[in-house]
Amino acid sequence: MNTMKKIEELNNSKIPIIVIDKKLERFKGQTLFPEKLARANEIIAKYGLPEIKKAPK
Amino acid sequence: MNKPKYLYKADVEFAIYEFISEGKNGRIKKRIEYTETTTPNVYNLGFGDYDETTNSINDLSVTNNGDSLKVLATVASTVYAFIEKYPNAYILATGSTNVRTRLYRMGITNNLAEITADFFVFGLTQEGDWREFEVGEDYEAFLITKK
Repeated sequence: MNTMKKIEELNNSKIPIIVIDKKLERFKGQTLFPEKLARANEIIAKYGLPEIKKAPK
Repeated sequence: MNKPKYLYKADVEFAIYEFISEGKNGRIKKRIEYTETTTPNVYNLGFGDYDETTNSINDLSVTNNGDSLKVLATVASTVYAFIEKYPNAYILATGSTNVRTRLYRMGITNNLAEITADFFVFGLTQEGDWREFEVGEDYEAFLITKK
């Protein structure tokens, strides 16, 4: 599959085409956005999460 | 998300994504990371420019590469990818700056019909209440989960 075809398919699909890159594994375990993660934890601790009623599957 | 977006790469766990923004300021590597918070099943969405020379991320920059809609559509697309892998996950997104928060709001607003067909979308008001996302409202953070 050539790149143009992939991009066309990607643009027309909700569920994207995923290209796996094992080189990204080296970032596993690192937190690339520590301040944002801290902020997210702070928000959850302070405000909780919205009440969401998911339909049973 | 039937909008132009960049082709991107992911790690095997679909937690880290990388793509290259191509625009008037050249090619800029972007990285997206979903990191589990201290609350199980709730993930923080981090997004920024990756600098290979310093091996660091800048999530404060506004690159002005002239492709912000395409970049946002790409980020939104990774939400679909991540949720496909972790269907019960909740994704929390906060802007690192007010500009970035407005950018997220714009991304959700521009794709709201499509997003809400598949996801619950909430915004955290300045008063600290989670409300269903409404166009034109200001929010401090956003939370998305699959319906």
